[in-house]
Amino acid sequence: MKDLYELYALGLLEEPERSQVETELASGSEEARARMRQALENNAILLAMAPEVEPAASLRDRVLQVAGGVEPGRANSQWMWAWMAASAALLVTAFWLSSSLSNRSSELATVRDQLRRVSSDAADSHAQLLRARAMLAFLNAPETRIVTFGPRDPKPPKGKVLVHPGRGVLLVASNLPPATRGQIYEMWVIVGGKASPAGLFQSDADGNALHLFENQVAPGAAVAVTLEPEAGSAQPTTTPLFVATI
Amino acid sequence: MNFLIAFVFAVFDALSEVDLISRLRRREPKAMADLYDRYGRLVYSVIFKVVRDRTVAEDLTQETFLRIWNRTQFFDSEKGALGPWILAIARNRAIDYIRSVDGRMSKRATEFEPAAEHPTAFLNLERDILNSDRAKLLQTAFAKLTPSQRQVIELAYWEGLSQTEMADRMKQPLGTVKTWVRTALKTLRNELEEVLTA
Repeated sequence: MKDLYELYALGLLEEPERSQVETELASGSEEARARMRQALENNAILLAMAPEVEPAASLRDRVLQVAGGVEPGRANSQWMWAWMAASAALLVTAFWLSSSLSNRSSELATVRDQLRRVSSDAADSHAQLLRARAMLAFLNAPETRIVTFGPRDPKPPKGKVLVHPGRGVLLVASNLPPATRGQIYEMWVIVGGKASPAGLFQSDADGNALHLFENQVAPGAAVAVTLEPEAGSAQPTTTPLFVATI
Repeated sequence: MNFLIAFVFAVFDALSEVDLISRLRRREPKAMADLYDRYGRLVYSVIFKVVRDRTVAEDLTQETFLRIWNRTQFFDSEKGALGPWILAIARNRAIDYIRSVDGRMSKRATEFEPAAEHPTAFLNLERDILNSDRAKLLQTAFAKLTPSQRQVIELAYWEGLSQTEMADRMKQPLGTVKTWVRTALKTLRNELEEVLTA
């Protein structure tokens, strides 16, 4: 079966070979997993051999609409410089370490792995820091106003939606019904009856959640939350857990 | 010196891709712009090679990026390889489209389920595989395949045909087609191994 993993990864392998490959993978064999990784890499390389075709310039704008189409703020460029400085420091450390070791190639590989781990940890910390800063700035902004939802409703959830005309919407919710396995909460901004995705989030074990949607929201819009499949949905597929008009 | 330059670029690429994935996971719109600038032309080229229609290719490119945007929450920024994942999604969207157009979708809807499109399938791959020496070797090896071997590979990758469908299209016995496919894939892999272990 080892010659057919590429076809399997493309979704083209038929029975009985498909079941045989699936059995090999399900066995947990490291050899089978390595073949699968190699097949995915080979497939990517072969696909990248497609002759280059220039798309229309307007396609970029269409794609960016998916994400809200917001241009970068100055803070992003500042972070980019900080990242470059941090990266440079890491590189200097890596080179110093590598030059002091006799087996240069193997030690460099080790350093690269360390760098990768450090950069990953830093990226996570960076993400949390950014998130905390964004939320703090949101809460401190004088233009931010608070909409409460659910206080009179007999059933949970309850919470607040903080709205800033330029920064977006911060949702603070409690008593959210638990998401079952394979589900995720998705926030929606509803304008003129049309719902647009505003991000995915999870709650903690007690049903509390905090979600920041950094995008301008039109006056009179409403915010809703639904439970969706874990990959998220382009449109709501379940009844909203709540709707708050902002 | 070349080694150092390659090392520096590899580290920068790794850092920037980790950062890009993290920003996508935070649903930063600017991250989508960076993702498109890095992969947009490649995604469009792959899709266009399959569908051969600019308007359709644009629609499917947008759909591909929407799918990525909605699924990056589940992509591992440390271990995931973004390029192979994106290309798999792009190719699958294009193959889905041509299957729906020529009616194959209804006939084989339950069969065409790409085994590897979920983000978790793309862990621990070589992150910069598309720009690697291995990519160049594989491209060279592809040129060495016989015409029949090359044809079956192209039918699989660019038209999404199973081996049975290839046999129908090429009016050849299924066993012959299977031999061509196996030999082609084996040849590509062997060429790589020979050079890399030499």
